[in-house]
Amino acid sequence: MLHEKEMRAVYAETLIALMNDDSSVYCLEADLGKSSGTFPGVCSAHPDRFIQMGIAEANMIGVAAGLAAEGMKPFCASFSAFASRRCYDQITVSVAYSGLNVKIIGTAPGVTQAFNGGTHMCFQDLAIMRAMPGITVLSPADAYELRAMLRWMHAHEGPVYLQLMREKYAPIFDDSYSFNPGSSVVLSRGADVALITTGLTTQYAVEAVRTLAAEGISAYHLHCGSVKPLDAEAVIAAARAAKSVITVENQNIIGGLGSAVCEALAEAHPVRVKRVGIADVFGEVGPAAYLAQKHGIDANGIVAAVREVMSGR
Amino acid sequence: MIRMDSTENLSVLAAEIRYIVTDMICRAGSGHIGGSLSIVEILLALYYRVMRTNPADLNDPRRDRLVLSKGHAGPALYAVLAHKGIIPFDWLATLNKPGTRLPSHVDRRTPGVEMTAGSLGQGLSAACGMALAAQKTSPASRVFCIIGDGESQEGQVWEAALFAAHRKLSNLVGITDYNGMQIDGTCDEVMSLGDLEAKWRSFDWDTVTVDGHDIPALIAAFKPVASAARPRMVIARTVKARGNACFEGQVGSHHIRIADDAARKKYLEGVSGASRTLPY
Repeated sequence: MLHEKEMRAVYAETLIALMNDDSSVYCLEADLGKSSGTFPGVCSAHPDRFIQMGIAEANMIGVAAGLAAEGMKPFCASFSAFASRRCYDQITVSVAYSGLNVKIIGTAPGVTQAFNGGTHMCFQDLAIMRAMPGITVLSPADAYELRAMLRWMHAHEGPVYLQLMREKYAPIFDDSYSFNPGSSVVLSRGADVALITTGLTTQYAVEAVRTLAAEGISAYHLHCGSVKPLDAEAVIAAARAAKSVITVENQNIIGGLGSAVCEALAEAHPVRVKRVGIADVFGEVGPAAYLAQKHGIDANGIVAAVREVMSGR
Repeated sequence: MIRMDSTENLSVLAAEIRYIVTDMICRAGSGHIGGSLSIVEILLALYYRVMRTNPADLNDPRRDRLVLSKGHAGPALYAVLAHKGIIPFDWLATLNKPGTRLPSHVDRRTPGVEMTAGSLGQGLSAACGMALAAQKTSPASRVFCIIGDGESQEGQVWEAALFAAHRKLSNLVGITDYNGMQIDGTCDEVMSLGDLEAKWRSFDWDTVTVDGHDIPALIAAFKPVASAARPRMVIARTVKARGNACFEGQVGSHHIRIADDAARKKYLEGVSGASRTLPY
């Protein structure tokens, strides 16, 4: 069953709560406030600190850097394509290299961009943001984790990039969840295969694990909400616990979670890893469920990947 | 030390700053001399006549801020910061040396530098953010931002221009160092800026053009306008590498390399009006 609230509504209500308590928190939007969930709610609650930037993402990041230089805590949102790759140099120089406390929300990651299609569909934000020194990269799996991560982001001094899925998703955690950067969550323990996921694919993998269990296959499921820093110890523990390792992500298999896992394992516990994700192709228009199926990252795709690995193919 | 109680003395200091900048770049072996020397009077007008600064407390919220968006002009800013007592003079000899606090392009980790810049087009956006924050936290503070003419070819500059006008950031003053030259040629050869003053006016900035080496004219242009409810753009007509006869008005002065001691001696001799003594 899905959570009663859209993730973007949780983003907006959490931001309003932070802004109620802290007058240094700002909400910046580049004409996608309705999409991010902040318009009109955040704008109505805090009109002086909801800053409409217009369709100008590079300037949004620069203005956020200037606000942060003055001790403010700006949260900037846009589609993940525009929040990451479009203003990558601005984030690099004006934010991360400058050591400024700017929070960036990349909405509608990967296939969830759906009907805006290939021009808007970003499969590389985890990869490119991960390659930037000094920034934390997060991908929450449900509304509870999103809320906890946003609170942590507010308390944390430093730049953070967070992928925000906008729609309703099934609850995985509950109100007791508290986020610790660099620590992952074991969602199930098993010995046949280790599934390592983040964000959207954690949703799909929870379903896949149930299907596999019904077939007598026990899966170890590790959710890495923090892609950077990656919980390398937990990744190694997962690899030790199971016979094989599969990473699944709503991103290009080049550079994202799968690459991060391979880097960690190659240095400390070399094993074979199958990376399931977008096979280095561009996106296209279509329902998210169709695209997830096409790229093999949905529950059926994950089950198929497990069977393939277990059969030795 | 030179007393700074008259604009005549600021003109004398300008020559000293140019000598120091030339020496810094010669010691480093290479550097951006042209765009550093073109903004000397702009910096002196700001730091000695216009901006409220507090060398004893660099984080004083009541201070005015300067963002040097054309970050490659760092050497000129460093020389002025040293004269203001904000950084030690002996740091100036370390420009671009391993472990230096003074990189070629300005970095906010250096005391007195408000914003990192160097990837062109980004500083005016940051200045907008600072001005926006200052409206709330320090309403009397003003934010100045020096951009290059070539830098104005970056689209982000015009995103920031729209934003500042839309938000009526009257505490923001942009300064264009209009020396007419960039790396590959004159601005007209590389990418014409057209009527730059008309462009800024059309973006609803209070716009004025002045001689960027005329200190009294710069001071007048930087003064707050009580009635203005919008940002101001001061287009400062300057000469690239002004004040060094070896490079003045030459496109090639954007970045120079110093081959040997003979070249260094020649380039230092190219600075006119300086005492030729170094404070470090």
